[in-house]
Parts: sequence; C-alpha cells; structure tokens
Amino acid sequence: MSTHSLTKASLRAEGLPRRRAVNRLMELLAWLAAALGVAILAVVVWSVARRGAGALNLDLLTRTPVLFSLTPVRQGLANAFAGSLVIVGIATLLALPVGILVAIYLNEFARPSVRSAVSLALDVLNGVPAIVIGIFVYGLLVVGHGQSAFAGSFALACIMLPLVARSTMEVLALVPMSLREASLALGVPRWRTTLSIVLPQTIGGIVTGTVLAVARVAGETAPLLFTSSLVGTQVGWDPHHALQTVPVAIFELAESSDPADHARAWAAALVLLLFILFASLGARWLVARASRRLGAVR
Amino acid sequence: MRTLALIAAVVAASVAAGTAGATPVKQSGTTLVGAGSSFVAPLVSQWIPAVGSAYGYGLQYSPIGSGGGINAITGRTVDFGASDAPLSPDQFTACKGCAQIPWALSATAVIYNLNGVKNLLHMDGPTLAGIFSGQIAAWDDAAIKKLNPGVSLPSAKIAIVHRSDNSGTTYNFTDYLSSASPAWRSATGTGVAVNWPVGSGARGSSGVAATVAQTQGGIGYVDVAYAKANQLQFLAMKNQSGKFTTPGLRGIIAAASSDQKPDPATNQLSIVNPPKKYDLAYPISTYTYVIVPLQSSKAQELRKFLFWAVTKGQAFGPKLLFQPIPKNVLVVAEKTIAKIHN
Amino acid sequence: MSGANLTFDRPRRPFTGRRFRFGDVSLQAVAGAAAAATTFLVVLIAYKVVRGAQPAIERYGAHFVTRVAWDPVKNVYGAGSFLFGTALTSLLALAIAAPLAIGIALFLTELAPRRLRGPVTALVETLAAIPSVVIGLWGILVLGPILRDHVEPALHSALGFIPLFGSPSSTGSSVFTAVVVLTIMILPIVASISRELFLGVPRDLKEGAFALGTTRWEMVRGVVFPYARGGIAAALILGLGRAVGEAIAVTQVIGTGVGIHWNLFDTGDTLASKIAASYQGAQSNIQIASLVYLGLILLVFSLLMNVSAQVIVRRAARRQGVGFNRGGAG
Repeated sequence: MSTHSLTKASLRAEGLPRRRAVNRLMELLAWLAAALGVAILAVVVWSVARRGAGALNLDLLTRTPVLFSLTPVRQGLANAFAGSLVIVGIATLLALPVGILVAIYLNEFARPSVRSAVSLALDVLNGVPAIVIGIFVYGLLVVGHGQSAFAGSFALACIMLPLVARSTMEVLALVPMSLREASLALGVPRWRTTLSIVLPQTIGGIVTGTVLAVARVAGETAPLLFTSSLVGTQVGWDPHHALQTVPVAIFELAESSDPADHARAWAAALVLLLFILFASLGARWLVARASRRLGAVR
Repeated sequence: MRTLALIAAVVAASVAAGTAGATPVKQSGTTLVGAGSSFVAPLVSQWIPAVGSAYGYGLQYSPIGSGGGINAITGRTVDFGASDAPLSPDQFTACKGCAQIPWALSATAVIYNLNGVKNLLHMDGPTLAGIFSGQIAAWDDAAIKKLNPGVSLPSAKIAIVHRSDNSGTTYNFTDYLSSASPAWRSATGTGVAVNWPVGSGARGSSGVAATVAQTQGGIGYVDVAYAKANQLQFLAMKNQSGKFTTPGLRGIIAAASSDQKPDPATNQLSIVNPPKKYDLAYPISTYTYVIVPLQSSKAQELRKFLFWAVTKGQAFGPKLLFQPIPKNVLVVAEKTIAKIHN
Repeated sequence: MSGANLTFDRPRRPFTGRRFRFGDVSLQAVAGAAAAATTFLVVLIAYKVVRGAQPAIERYGAHFVTRVAWDPVKNVYGAGSFLFGTALTSLLALAIAAPLAIGIALFLTELAPRRLRGPVTALVETLAAIPSVVIGLWGILVLGPILRDHVEPALHSALGFIPLFGSPSSTGSSVFTAVVVLTIMILPIVASISRELFLGVPRDLKEGAFALGTTRWEMVRGVVFPYARGGIAAALILGLGRAVGEAIAVTQVIGTGVGIHWNLFDTGDTLASKIAASYQGAQSNIQIASLVYLGLILLVFSLLMNVSAQVIVRRAARRQGVGFNRGGAG
C-alpha cells in the first residue's frame, strides 16, 4: 500500500464531486459487507434454531441412541450429553490449575528470557491444529491401552491450557504493582501476597477465560475422534471408558441417511450452540464487569 | 456472578439427572468393546440388548468400517474387531495371534435412485464395472438398455457414490467386480479402499445410503439391510448361470453353498460370483468375520458372547436379511472360539 | 550506657538479603513446574509427530511433499494432492473473506450508528464461537444442496469457460462447498481483529486528516490502513492458519478425492480433512505413518502462520493497550 499524500494541493486537484462519489461508493460497500456478514450469521443460526427447535424434546436428553433399526424408534443422545459433561469437566480440572500456575510463574517469577520462551511455547501450543493434537494424544495414551474419556480430556486440556494461561496473564498484569508492593511492605511473604492478595483480584478474569475456553472445547470434535469415539449406546460416567460426546454425535449423525437422525443432530447442535452462546455472552459480561472494577482502559 | 454459577450448576445437575435416569446401566460389570464393519452393524445392534439381558455384558460397537476394526484390534484398543474383508497374511502377522471367525452371512445390494423408474432394473458384472470405472456415464447407455428391454431409462447422468472409509463392503463389491470384469481387476483391483476412477465418497454404509437417497441418478453399494431400512431400490444382478437374482435370503444361502469349507488356516470363505451350478445365487454375497485375539484378559466373556452370537444370535438375522450360518461353518467357528484363552 | 541512649539491647539477626521462605520457594517451584510441563508438552508433541511419521519419512523422504498419489492398494503415498487442496481452499476462502471482513470492521468503527455497533459486534463474535461441526452439519444438509441445485449450475453456465467452474457436482460435496464453509469460519476472526486494530488508531491522526478536508474514505485509506497495516496482515495470516488447520467442517463437505483438479465443483481433500477421514481405517503401518507425515506438514505450516501472527497481533495490541485471546485452528 503506497503512502498516500494528504496534502491540501493533491486533494484539491482531484476534484470534490468525484471524491465524494468515491467516498459514497466505499461507504456503500462497507454497509453491504456488514449486511452480508450479519446475513450469513443469521442464516446459520436461524437454520440451526428452526430445525433444532422442531426436534428438541425431552427424548433427546432421556433416551439413548439405537445402533440400527428397520423401523423408526424413539431415541435420544443421553449418552452424548453425559459424556460431554464428564470429558469437558475433567479437561477443565486438568487445564485450570496448570494454566493459572503457568500464568503466575510468567507474571510473578520468571526472568525475561524464560518468560519469552514459555510464552512462545504457549503460542505454539495454541497454534497446533486440533487434529494434530488428536494424533499426538492417540499415540501417547490410546495405542495399546484403548480409548478413554481421560485421553479425550487430556487432548481438550491441551487446547484449553494456552487460553486459560493467556487470559490469566492478562488479568494478573492488570493488578497494579502498588498493591503487591504495599503487601510486601507490610511484611506479607511473597507467596501469600500472590495467592491471597493478587489472585483474588483476578478471579473474575480467570473465570471469564475458563468459561471461554470451555465454550471453545465443548464443540471440539477432531481430538475426540481419535480418543473417545468407539463408544457404546448406554449412558456411562466412567472416564476409563470411551464416552460419547455431543460434537462427535453430531458429526456421526450428519452423515446418516435417516431424517430422524438429522433432526437429532440439529437438536443437539442447537443445545450446543445455546450453551456456547450463553457461555460467551456471560464471559463478555464478566469482562465488562471486571474491567470496570479494575479501572482498566479499553 | 454467583447467580450465574448457581444457574450453571442447576443446569448441569439436571442434565446429569436426566441422562442418568434415562436408561439404567444394567451390566454386571464387563463391557465388551468392539468396532469395525458397518455391514454387520444391523445384526450387532440387535445383539446389544439381548446379550445384556442374557449375560449382563455391556456390548459396545462402533461401525467405523472394516479397516478401522482391523486397525483397532491390532492396536488392542478394542476387545474384538469386525471385518467383511478377510485378513491378509501381513495383517495376521501384525495382529499377533488373532483368530478370524465367520459369524454372519449376508449380501451387498447395489442401490440406485431413479425416481421415475419403478421397475426392478437388471444389471450384470461387466456393465456394472463399466459404470463404476466411468466408461458408462448415463443411465440410458446402450449397455444398460440391452439388459433392461422395454424399460424407459432417463438420460440422467450416473452419480457414483462409493465408501470414503476403509470398508469391507468395498472389498466385497470390488472383489465381485474384479471377478466379473478382467478390465476392472487390472485397472483398479480389490481392496477395502481402492483408487476409484470416478465418484464421490461417503462415510459408512449409512453415509452411502444417505447420499444415494439424496442424489438423483445416484448409484452405490451397501449391506442389504440398509437398503431395506431406507426403502432404496437395488439392482437384480446376473449370476454366472444367466439368471438375475436379488439380495434376498434365498440368493444368499444359494451363494453360501458354493464354498462350505472355511480355509483351515484362516477360516476364510469366498462366495462371490459363484459358478454356474448355483443358479439361484446372488453373486455379491459375503461372510463377515469377527477378529479376536486368541489370548485376552476377557477370554471367558468373549467365548460366551461369541458362542451365543453364532448360535442364538443368528435368529435375529433373517428379518435383516442375514442368513444363519450353515452347519459346517458353525462347527469350525465354534472350534476356533473354544481356543480363546486368558 | 546512659539512660538517654535509646539503643535496644535485643540481639539483631544479620541481614542476609533475600529471605528464603518455604512458602515462596514452593510456590515458585510448583508454578515453575507447571511452566516447565507446558514447554515439555510442546516438545513432546513435536517429537511424537515426527516419530510417528518416521517410517514414511524414511521411505519417501522429501519427495512425499510433492508426489500426487494416495493408493492404499499399491501402498504409494504422497502429500501433493492435499497440499494443493489446502492451498486452493484456504487461499480462495481468504481472498473472499478478507475484503468482507475488513469492510465489516470499517463499518463497525466508522459508519455504524452507535446503537448498531454493540449488537453487530456481538453477532460477529458469536459467529466465531460456532463449533466447526455445527457449520459442517449446516454445510452438508443446507448449503450443499443449495449449491448443487442452484449455484453451481448457474456458475457453470455463466463462467464455464474458466477451468475453475467445470461441470457441477452431483452430490453437493465439493471443493467449492468447502471454500464457502471456510470463508464463513475465517470471516469473524479477521473481522474482529481488524475492528480492534481500527479502534486503536489514534483519534488525533484521524481528525488531522479530516481537518485537511479529506473524505472519510480518503482518511481510511491514508491514515487507518497504513497505521493498521501490520496488524491486518497478521489477522489475515491468522485467518489463513485457521483455514489450513480446519479438519472437521471441511471433511464433512469436501467429498474426498485425490489428484490435482482445477474444477472447484470436483471433490478433493486437504491435509487436515484427509487425516480426519482416513485415520481410523488406516490399514498398513506405512499408511498410518504417511497420515502422520501429512500431520507433520500441516503442523509446520500451521505453526509458521499461527505463531508469527499471534506475535505480531500481540505486539500491535500491546501498543494500543487492548487485550487479545484468540484461539487457534479447530
């Protein structure tokens, strides 16, 4: 892009009516682009909402799927919802403490060289495609042992970790240095300062980051294909077994021939979408609240 | 924020309550996990509740395709694999002490979607090979017309749908094409996944059935149970005696009588394109196998399950167009099952 | 000692500098262990992927990258077809999404009435949060049939002389559908990053341009774009990285195919979608190793794009004082 000279002479030389016309055109294009973007979103969300709402019933949550039947039979996705709860829950339990600790280390303790190295590692981890994480966890935990919800959770935790760590780092950085210094000056040991004074200030941001990370992995399919896809039709809670999950269920139902399967896929997609929407909106609201409280300038 | 957390907790708890109350998990402990062929999935799905109530075992089965099943049992990520394609010597070696046991018998239907044509279309091997290699591109091609005199065929393009995953049904289908057409054998050959000259891929037999059902002029191949479930038309295939047969119980058992001796080393049977003598045979029939490690920590449960499957389990077959396996094959199967040990 | 002296007789501990409290040391140790574990995890991922691809690397070497073949019967594998598919789909998707996204960002920062800004921004961010499997579901069941029945025949009859628009697909699964799906996935990422960048352009620079008598478009062209240039480039790279790594939505709509076809309405495969489609049923060890080799190539490209983009974006954001937490590929 060439630097455009904005001298009065050059502008006058081009002629005002023509410039105004070009400006109008560009504004129109921008309006069109925005309309198109909104339209796309509306179409996708409307598709899911309309087809999903029609198929949404209690059966989805209380009945389990049937592998094959010659005639239509009432079924649902109870096993997928249960499995998603377990897998995402365990993934959060794995990623949350590690993410917070990494953020604490980078923000409070690390030397600049170590800090940039670990920060780079976090960026790299964030940049690994989910399907490669699936291959990795498959080779690490599944070969020889069999699939399990634990393996699936570990894969999701790898995806969540950089998200949690980054958002925690951001809020930790927002806590003013003076707070730490005052605490240390009063004789509070460093570890106590970090855990009891600094960290509580950041709880809102940590929760926000965690909620966003959960919303992100709740819909992750690729790593679960490798780690928790050979599943049964019954509801199970044991993480040693492979458990069905909502995104994998949607993936499989989408390719089926039965319109009833499609309907259940839409319904499950709607539930997933609503969960993610509420989680994201909730997180944004928390961000607004937290930044107001910390007085951050956005 | 506390209210949000409260709401989240309530929602999670109610989901948990709803799903837990759904179907109480009846099994008394052992779960048998299997994966593989989508061909045999209709039959296995009937077995799941039956085995549960008979022995209290929780049977899990994932129809990921025969290739996936062989892969899974080789890596011991499942307790048993299922494949319609018999294991090659390399695969036997890789599987390290696995046994291959024929446990079901059915056929591959060639499904098609031509809304205007209500008649049962006739087809033979070489023409079918011509279609799937792209040489015959339209439904009103001369070769197809010759086999179906008097039927008005539309000039629609033939849209081929094949399996995108590694599939025993593909193996069975390409085995038949290779046997009926030397041109196909040299150009493309037999396998669970081949270099398809034309066509688009779909995952699983259900995927192929779905795609054909939604594509005008589509043609594909699936286990006949899927054709029945989706009410899809299938072709009547010409067997070696010149008769046109459909994938029904009669055609299947006639084909099965063409090979009654499982291979002594691998238990393999080949009943594709049977010789002229078997004039009622449907030429794309096949056995399907369960692959188990001869040494397993769940040996007792596997033996019980497999004995049940090849005897009482066969009774669930006929309405899904699975023929109960013949007596001499059953004897060999039972002998092999008895060898599974701890 | 006289009573006027206020020295204390209590023995004083010598000052030893930093005091080693058990609590401090353990917190640092535990937190440091977490950081070390994270770094180790990254190294482990790279190691495992290279190790898994090793049989294929040994057999095919670097030739694998350019060979256009994937034959499980003859056991000949190569990444050429899928590199082409990845390049074609991702670059096309970016070419379509970029102007749209920048237009949306401009709209949100310069043109939109105040009441609209909040809701439309929220809408765009929501589109980013839709899981790829849901977009894939929509692609298979809604988009595919529409493209197959209306759009592709129309494009073919109007622009059929261009090799890109050859004979339409019969099933709705095609490279073209994948391009549309990827465009929908890249759009919100590029749009929201661009929006943050445009918001960060200093007001006085913009007002200075207006004072010179520029129209709004001239101001954007002369002030906003040059200022945000680096950040937008990073946003585009990030969007491209997202498209390159997308496996699920693409494999649902692309139909599978091997070979270099320029017809957008043909089926095809990308690096990521091939892995997703074939991994479960891979037969031989060499096929599995070849699939992991594909994953290695994918990893290298994704990392190059995502890491450099993240670094640039964070640097630009820090300069402007806003925060970022963008996810990687799905």
